Amino acid sequence: MALSVEVIKAGLETSVQDFPGRYGFWEQGFPPSGPFDMWSFRLANVLVGNGPEAAGLECQFMGPTLRFSEDCVVAFTGAEMNPTLDGEAFPMWESVAVTAGQVLACGFARVGARAYLAISGGIDVPTVLGARATFHMAGVGGMEGHALKDGQSLNVGAGAGAGAGVPGRRVKQDCRPAISDNKEWQIEVVQGPNDDWIADDGIERFLTSEWKLQARSNRTGYRLEGPDWIFADKASAKGPEHGEHPSNILDHGYPVGSINLCGQTPIILVNDAPSAGGFINPFTVPSAAFWKLAQSKPNDIYRFRRVSVDEAQELRRSIDRLCAVESIA
Amino acid sequence: MIYDEPKFLPGGDRFIEMELGNELNFDLNFLVHSLSAKIREAEITGLIELLPNMASIVISYDPDLISFSDLKREVLGHYHNMGSLEGMELLSPIYYIPVLYCDPVTRGCWEDYCAKIGEKEYDCDVLVRLNNLDGYEQLARIHSGTEYWVAALGFYPGLASLIALDPRCRLTAPKYNPPRTWTAKGTIGYGGSVTCVYPANTPGGYQMIGHTPVPVCDMDQRLPAFSQDLALLRPGDRVRFFPIGQEEYDYVERRVTAGDYVHNVAHYAKFSIRAYHEWLETLDMKERF
Amino acid sequence: MKFDTPKFMPGGDHFILVQFGDDASIDLNFMALGLTAAIKAEEVTGVVDTNPSYNSLVVEYESDDISYADLQTELAHLIDGLGSVENLELDSRLAYLPVVYLDPWTRDCVADYSEKIAPREYDPDFVADVNGFEDAKQLARIHSGTEHWVVTVCSTPGLPLMRALDPRCAITSPKYNPPRTWTTLGAIGVGGLSSSIYTTPGPGGYNLIGRTPVPLWDPRQRHPVFKDRVVLLDAADRVKFVPISEEEFEYTEARVADGSYEFNITAYQRFSVGAYKKWVSSLNQDGQF
Repeated sequence: MALSVEVIKAGLETSVQDFPGRYGFWEQGFPPSGPFDMWSFRLANVLVGNGPEAAGLECQFMGPTLRFSEDCVVAFTGAEMNPTLDGEAFPMWESVAVTAGQVLACGFARVGARAYLAISGGIDVPTVLGARATFHMAGVGGMEGHALKDGQSLNVGAGAGAGAGVPGRRVKQDCRPAISDNKEWQIEVVQGPNDDWIADDGIERFLTSEWKLQARSNRTGYRLEGPDWIFADKASAKGPEHGEHPSNILDHGYPVGSINLCGQTPIILVNDAPSAGGFINPFTVPSAAFWKLAQSKPNDIYRFRRVSVDEAQELRRSIDRLCAVESIA
Repeated sequence: MIYDEPKFLPGGDRFIEMELGNELNFDLNFLVHSLSAKIREAEITGLIELLPNMASIVISYDPDLISFSDLKREVLGHYHNMGSLEGMELLSPIYYIPVLYCDPVTRGCWEDYCAKIGEKEYDCDVLVRLNNLDGYEQLARIHSGTEYWVAALGFYPGLASLIALDPRCRLTAPKYNPPRTWTAKGTIGYGGSVTCVYPANTPGGYQMIGHTPVPVCDMDQRLPAFSQDLALLRPGDRVRFFPIGQEEYDYVERRVTAGDYVHNVAHYAKFSIRAYHEWLETLDMKERF
Repeated sequence: MKFDTPKFMPGGDHFILVQFGDDASIDLNFMALGLTAAIKAEEVTGVVDTNPSYNSLVVEYESDDISYADLQTELAHLIDGLGSVENLELDSRLAYLPVVYLDPWTRDCVADYSEKIAPREYDPDFVADVNGFEDAKQLARIHSGTEHWVVTVCSTPGLPLMRALDPRCAITSPKYNPPRTWTTLGAIGVGGLSSSIYTTPGPGGYNLIGRTPVPLWDPRQRHPVFKDRVVLLDAADRVKFVPISEEEFEYTEARVADGSYEFNITAYQRFSVGAYKKWVSSLNQDGQF
């Protein structure tokens, strides 16, 4: 019998995502979407024996309540949402056997912000423009283009990788992202592409200040509060087609992770962000730091640490190496 | 200006912003799209996708397959191998889109912004003042007096950035600061020297100068124009706006809702760069519509 | 139908008529205009002037410089060189002409005829009726929804004889019988399968559906656009009518009168017959503007 998962309660914003997300349509305005904390997401799939392309659920702040129609193996990683199975504590970072009819429930995230649920076989929704990832703003992918709703039913695919559905596997402690509740983060950042629009003392100020994550932040953009930026001459000595304000530039593509400066409001462009626009990007958050963004909460404090392109690439590789079966005990 | 040598600027661990110039210049944009086509054909290992825009291309790559410097070297090689643009001709469909200028829908959106985010001059007044126009009629006449070149897609699915082909019709406008949190679908926006049609209800920063009932993006592909694609426009297409009154606006809106609206497109002219340059020479830049 | 080989016939002692077929298929006009362009490019000795029409071309020649037989041979050679009609590409400017549809001035003209010559239904209603359109407004929408191809310039100075390029915008109507004795200057007329614009207030037989304030000829060459030419349009140009209000008509008329009117003509396209045919075959013939 095919497994289906009943959504008793959808949670605050739970969506189907797949890794690496939607590629090949960026030029038409479709961002990659996909899981925000790619580290936790991938380990969840490894735990239940899924291939890396299997779709899972991203649960933001408060996760869903789900009933499983058949026996299966499930794993929960990322933020601690005190998941329970039929009322009993459900262990995080472990593959767990679930029997038909059991109910998995979640509370509010105590530590971290986003949790990931993988089911052996992977979530089976139609691929749209090459991916199952949800891009809610355009109503594309996932469950009919949007986050889960109460009463929906998710299908689970039959496919799985080696070691499919083996319970009792655990991710070693030192292979997990260090999600903490100390509300302060050091975020890696690569200087550029438009760093030359900021004066030297403005660069210094950015790197030595505290930046607070505003409440009005989500997968489209992370708004930061902090001191004013200081612009270089280049930001004013430009043609009128760029626009008046020093942060205005002739429209250009936005690398994912750009710290996009809109006037004096820096907004980190993340998974569902617009693909292009007319504001400068003096710094870019590299892939390896995305899990930190994903696990932060409003009012958390960021301090940015500048790294080179090479360092950023090496950091990403080191995380990639951990998203493999070698991390499982 | 078009740079002598393009700049390659890092964007985190897996993006490069290749800047070919720093101005709104048709030749520069044509160069961007021709180069993008060439790079795509080359199928460079490790290159994931390209995001061409006005004067730049953002390149996304897999650092496990190619390094920043190797990718830069390969792309620069293709750049230097591009022949002269003068002889190029491009089949360029033109879309005719009706617009109600200085309309009630966008006025409502502006009023909402003033009430919730901050007071600001009415958008059409901003355009009239900054460009020394007689009034809203001249704004409509100038905005609709030129064909627009689709210079880029981006920001949001179906959103095309349009630049005026007739330089006498190029206006200027600042962007909202801070940006709006919403814009009505179908709004005609103007920011910097670029105009656009908002394909959906999205945040935005362009001044709002009019509204069209005609869709430019259709996820459900209901109307005939979207039978092959979700978005109407592609880089290299052209758009021409024409002013309509409220009555015609209501009529078109009814046909869109009914699902039988037929987009007005002519797909048989080849855009000639050489002829375009010659035509530019014939224009009296002191004159205005 | 298209003739297998074009027919050549003398027209008196210094004209030769080249006929490509005997119906109004647009391909025949494309061939005539292709031959016109080839004659100009080759600078054929002895040719004085050319005068294209729906399916034929009249060539005026100087019999001291070339004989009828030699000219026929030369023309046949040029026609061979054109190849098949699908391969033709023609320089084709696009003129945007503002027009008030269902205007009061042509309404008066029709009323005058109705009173003095023969009772007659208001022309736009009549034409809408004959073509099964909803009403005269839909006639205006359909007429302005297509580019019109200038088949030839004839009859009175600068008068363009045009036909709709978008087959979904074909409008047919019988001509006045008997004709009018005068016509509003600048009137847009439809008759048979053609459109035309009245450049003198003389007699005419087309149904009047609108009026443009833009002059199509100027022997005194007052406007810069008439610097190098006496008439505005050439065969193979295209016209797109842009509906305007009466206020806009009066504004434009005033600018024409004081010499400051800016003509809106783009000259950077080449019309591709092959692309045109492909586009026509892609259209859903049931769709209507």
